[in-house]
Amino acid sequence: MSKQILRKISQGLFLLLFLFLFIRTESKGNDTLGYPVRLFLDFDPLIFLTTLFASRGGQIPAGFFLSLITILVTIVLGRVFCGWLCPLGTLNTIVGSFRRRQSIPLDAKWHRLKYYILIVLIVSSVFTLQIAGIMDPLSLIIRSFSVSIYPLADNGIRALFDTIYNTNISGLVDVSEAVYGLLKKSLLAFRPLFYLQAVFTGVIFFLILAMNLIENRFWCKYLCPLGALLGLCSRYSVLKRETSEGCTGCGICAKACQGGAISEKNDNWRNTECLACFSCDDSCPQNAVSFGLGKQKNQAMDLGRRQVMASMLSGALAVPLLRSTPLSKTTYSNPDLLRPPGALEEKEFLKRCVKCGECMKVCITNGLQPTLLEAGLEGIWSPRLIPRIGHCEYRCTLCGQVCPAGAIRRMPLEEKTKVIIGLAMIDKGRCLPYAHAIPCIVCEEMCPTSPKAIWFEETVVRRRDGKELIVQQPRIDLNLCIGCGICEAKCPVGNRAAIYVTNIGESRSQANQLLL
Amino acid sequence: MDRRKFLKTAAVAGCGLLIGEALHSGVSPSEAAEKYDLVVAHGAGKPASDITKATISAIGGMKRFVSRGDIVVVKPNIGWDRLPEQAANTNPEVVAAIVKLCFEAGAKKVKVFDRTCNDPRRCYKQSGISDAVSSLGAEVSFIDERRFRDISIKGQVIKSWPLYRDIFEADKVINVPVAKHHGLAKLTMAMKNWMGVMGGQRGSIHQKIGESLADLCLVIKPSLTVLDAIRILTANGPQGGDLKDVKRLDTLIAGVDQVAIDSYGATLFGMKGSDLSYVKAGNAMGIGSMDISRLKINRLNV
Repeated sequence: MSKQILRKISQGLFLLLFLFLFIRTESKGNDTLGYPVRLFLDFDPLIFLTTLFASRGGQIPAGFFLSLITILVTIVLGRVFCGWLCPLGTLNTIVGSFRRRQSIPLDAKWHRLKYYILIVLIVSSVFTLQIAGIMDPLSLIIRSFSVSIYPLADNGIRALFDTIYNTNISGLVDVSEAVYGLLKKSLLAFRPLFYLQAVFTGVIFFLILAMNLIENRFWCKYLCPLGALLGLCSRYSVLKRETSEGCTGCGICAKACQGGAISEKNDNWRNTECLACFSCDDSCPQNAVSFGLGKQKNQAMDLGRRQVMASMLSGALAVPLLRSTPLSKTTYSNPDLLRPPGALEEKEFLKRCVKCGECMKVCITNGLQPTLLEAGLEGIWSPRLIPRIGHCEYRCTLCGQVCPAGAIRRMPLEEKTKVIIGLAMIDKGRCLPYAHAIPCIVCEEMCPTSPKAIWFEETVVRRRDGKELIVQQPRIDLNLCIGCGICEAKCPVGNRAAIYVTNIGESRSQANQLLL
Repeated sequence: MDRRKFLKTAAVAGCGLLIGEALHSGVSPSEAAEKYDLVVAHGAGKPASDITKATISAIGGMKRFVSRGDIVVVKPNIGWDRLPEQAANTNPEVVAAIVKLCFEAGAKKVKVFDRTCNDPRRCYKQSGISDAVSSLGAEVSFIDERRFRDISIKGQVIKSWPLYRDIFEADKVINVPVAKHHGLAKLTMAMKNWMGVMGGQRGSIHQKIGESLADLCLVIKPSLTVLDAIRILTANGPQGGDLKDVKRLDTLIAGVDQVAIDSYGATLFGMKGSDLSYVKAGNAMGIGSMDISRLKINRLNV
């Protein structure tokens, strides 16, 4: 079997493993998921390094040390991670295979771009800014799948089966419902998913895939910062490509090369760009290419001193620039920015969150949504609870379990149910018993704390006709409310709830407090 | 003691059940063949499944309600993400025992579902009900939003409402609620359990809870109702959370008349049926009788 076939099998298997773990990032009603759903991120050295730098020696989740394996393997064998494992790389090659005409690759110097991106991310992380997740391929693919691609597929399939169901053609509906039932148990989400930023992240993702139609693995060659990091690691790798004397310089291998590592005349091979895909080996008509453990010196990528300096400066300057927002003031926060329970204090949280979207994927109510600019540009695509979309389920601890970077702490249930993410307040102008003398108790009924944070004050109110009526008016005990937002989620005052949660009182903040 | 005198005593000391053994008529199983309006079975420390079996046999056996080949809906309360000992959901052993008896009586299919308040996956799992009945062959399914149908009710308050289709397609329906405290309705038992088959913005019926629940019972007529008071939740309902609010009564109340059952259930909490708006409304609308002193009650000690 040729090495290429082996490589394709490996890519396929890892893509399937990725999709399996992704789909398993969903509650089945138990307290834990039972699968290591963040496994791919644990093996990501870019996320590891930037977390290590940005958190400045804070506690590093143990799983991250698995990424050292990725580095070791790369040092020995080169960028096999890119060529054989990376799910985004695999999707890139799949889309690239639809390109009909041979593309003209960009000039070799464009390969440097990804190294500059890497430098910006690393240097900014040294200055405690964690933005690597925006471009890290694993963060990017998990986020895109979570908030965009999976909801797209899921809603599309649902719409199809609902259409068939509504035709009421008995035989057809029986078959389609059986298939639908199976899909619901296996691939589909438990319920239809909706995310803010679905279109935005989806368009970015599709653009990245579409770039393969310009040039195969465009992202991997020119943009991927993880590819650049692994490229640096592979500088000294011992797996070397050799060409025998039979080489005619026909350039077929250069065209087949997935990483753009071979120059047109095959007189130059750059180790750091080689994805170990073995396309050159298989495509050579003279059978002149071989890979082995060689000794000859690897060629360094010349990044240019000025450009490196400029990248470093950009990375450093990005930090104060992105933080020149009033959100950086401890005395000011966006009241609607409800962070998931167990989220670290905002500054620490932003130093950790890699915007992978795992928490949003696993959130049992769909209430965790990606931000756009609500937490500043630094916090783009970080999780935010929007109770009107979905509350924080009292006895659920899943977001803390899947967070790869420790931005959301993993907590036992007892601790989680005590964490305050905000406090509820009542809009007396809309609340039925207050404003309209109409009985309603839904917020109190739903309140999960024991004793309930919402209690009733029985009040005599007068109706328009002069009749007096006793209604139970809900009051909030600020010492008991944890801000889970189920009251806001279930408030029957339709479009805008008469009870709502803001982040005042959140446990994680010292400044944002209300009570003495 | 003649019956009238006995019933009087029972009504006065209805909550005597809380004390346990105090009330028991000593009816032997052979007398159970006689038809009673209600069976109140108590079995201190006995497994819930045994109490269930005794209750059903005292009310005439499951064959009285379920025929061979029937499709049966067993509707417990699975509304909350709580554990069985927290008494926010129907006791899983009771539900399982009823499902088993349905199959033994020849039921072709037994369906178990509820429209939950917390996340359905967590409610089904954590309540213990899903695991307890799916192993018996019952069809445990989550609510499918497409299966709500607008049902004409013509009640005092509710003229029509989307209700779960399976309730109306089933041959027999068995209501298996749990008895617990509720902030507005005071208590939630049999009649209020039907909120679990309501679609749409069901929260708004709290505006006129008594009439609304009675209206629902105009169209939802279970063959049998078994009120679970193995554990009752006395405060912080309907979901509780604190075990201090849970009282173990080891009691089940079975019958056909939901109003009567809720009326009797009120006595477990030291209330009367007439304290509950929906019981009063149900009584007034002729759905059932809240006057338990007129009922033939079989008090049974397991």
